[in-house]
Amino acid sequence: MCQHCKDSSAPNPSHFEAGDGLANSPAHIDMAWSEYNELIKGMRFFDPHIHMVSRTTDDYQAMRQAGIVALIEPSFWVGQPRTGLSSFKDYYSSLVGWERFRSSQFGIKHYCTMGLNSREANNEPLAEQVMEILPLYIYKEGVVGIGEIGFDDQTAAEEKYYRLQLELAKEAKLPVQIHTPHRDKKRGTERSMAIALEHGLDPSWVIVDHNNEETVKSVLDQGFYAAFTIYPFTKMGNERMVKVVEQYGPERIMVNSAADWGISDPLALPKTAALMKMRGIADETIRLVTYQNAIDAFGKSGQIDVSDFEGGLSVEKTEKFHGNSILRGGQQPDVAKDSLVIQ
Amino acid sequence: MSHLINTTLWEVISQNISETETDWLTQKGNGSPIELMTAFVASPRFLPKKIVNIESAQEHSLHEIVPGFSINGWSLVRLARVWLLTKLDASDKEAFVKNIETLFDTAEMNELVALYSALPVLDFPEQWLFRATDAVRSNMGFVFDAIALHNPYPAKYFSELAWNQLVLKTIFNDKPVHFITGLEERQNENLALVLSDFAHERWAAGRSVAPNVWRLVSKYLNDTLLSDVAHLFHTPHFYNHEAAALVCFDSEYEPAKALLSGYPEFEKSITEGALTWSNLEFTDLNTYVPTLQR
Repeated sequence: MCQHCKDSSAPNPSHFEAGDGLANSPAHIDMAWSEYNELIKGMRFFDPHIHMVSRTTDDYQAMRQAGIVALIEPSFWVGQPRTGLSSFKDYYSSLVGWERFRSSQFGIKHYCTMGLNSREANNEPLAEQVMEILPLYIYKEGVVGIGEIGFDDQTAAEEKYYRLQLELAKEAKLPVQIHTPHRDKKRGTERSMAIALEHGLDPSWVIVDHNNEETVKSVLDQGFYAAFTIYPFTKMGNERMVKVVEQYGPERIMVNSAADWGISDPLALPKTAALMKMRGIADETIRLVTYQNAIDAFGKSGQIDVSDFEGGLSVEKTEKFHGNSILRGGQQPDVAKDSLVIQ
Repeated sequence: MSHLINTTLWEVISQNISETETDWLTQKGNGSPIELMTAFVASPRFLPKKIVNIESAQEHSLHEIVPGFSINGWSLVRLARVWLLTKLDASDKEAFVKNIETLFDTAEMNELVALYSALPVLDFPEQWLFRATDAVRSNMGFVFDAIALHNPYPAKYFSELAWNQLVLKTIFNDKPVHFITGLEERQNENLALVLSDFAHERWAAGRSVAPNVWRLVSKYLNDTLLSDVAHLFHTPHFYNHEAAALVCFDSEYEPAKALLSGYPEFEKSITEGALTWSNLEFTDLNTYVPTLQR
């Protein structure tokens, strides 16, 4: 069906542009996930960074089955540059509207962070307009932070809108989710943190994302949360993640998938948890880095009520939440995906 | 109307919240339009997540003011949001409409639910007709429910075409039609005829039709619809037989009476009041699963 796929499967660095000298070997080659998912039976996961607008219903079902009970969808760029304010507006609305509903149908609680991403901050006339409407969205129910913001090319425009949004976060008493750049990462990360501190943000309210072995120490030492993105080819692999946790312990560390439209993995959390379990990392440590720390950090927004998902987001719960008496039509039925017959 | 309704709504709210929450809400409710709109958005940050308790006397007086309007089972936030909207200054129509439109344009899911729930009590009701029909087009289940179920606005203002779409989409989405306010009053022949076509498509696909839906055809029976009713008697599911009998019983169409006479046991239990449409008012519909032949 797709004989050439192997040959053409060059890394597709959408969320993370390809760095130099990347290993071309595919991820997860030796161990089959299906043989190891028993290890995480009964665990539940909170993915604090995933772009569900780019994912399919198959992903939602697989995530739910693997124990993901809640997630945060940061606002970012959508691949195609936006040319007008309306497409920003519709995107923000979809994060608190349609996507939130879609997620609820699969029993996964959906939160989001709102912000102007660094790439599109470079389109200054548009960025100005976006900054005007952003306050309309940051106070919405279930908005757990300002994000993902920070540097990409590290231009003056990026810095300007990063600073403006840090002020917005302070005013709204919301955590900040920082995207760190792909190129010149180490300096970009340091610069992001220095500016956040300069604006008087409490580092325990700031989640510095996309860390690696080179950046983590400084992030933790300065009191920030350090998030790690398990993303095949272009970012962290989960074996490296295991080593990071072995070295630094679980405090203020969290794992995410940042899955988007590129070759990425919405099951990055459960897979990493299984690998950690295999390598002998304590259950409590796994729980902290794949669930609790994210809740503690983003919960500072006051928008996360764990009773909404810790026992699973049942249809009944969703109804209660919306004051709704309808039983069906809320949850998507399971489809027999392995069957040839489609009913 | 707004004044009366907001007094009654406030009575319910005040019985359900603490003193600090009361202070916050009162202050915002008396604020400028911008403050009020911001409070509409921010209310989940200041009010507890719970379902409102309402006394039957209060429920009754709401009905008196706006027939069919009900806040039963609402969350406190939803109620507070609707109350805030009734406090929004409507003396300048243009400004009022613009403010409501802004809230719609930037609304998240629960805000949309509150906005559509408020339509029966907002001033300038005709102004919201497009929004209301757009909610019927929504694929967000909760938003659809807010306009289609337990809401008196559509029955009062929708055209026949828009009304029929609402009813059909409720059926299509496996939601119970008996939750639609004004279902009996807005019955019409076109709807009954479309339901026949709909049922044929469903049957061709090996799927079923919720038995309660057939209550909408009794008044409009013709040969085609009667053959559908006869078909119901031959499906394996008992509820379909009951629905078919009820349709015939309700109908003035002579051939329907003749059909029913072949099922004296149903005729008897309808006459005795043991079998009514309320026996078929199910809420856990699942008509897409072929094995459940309803």
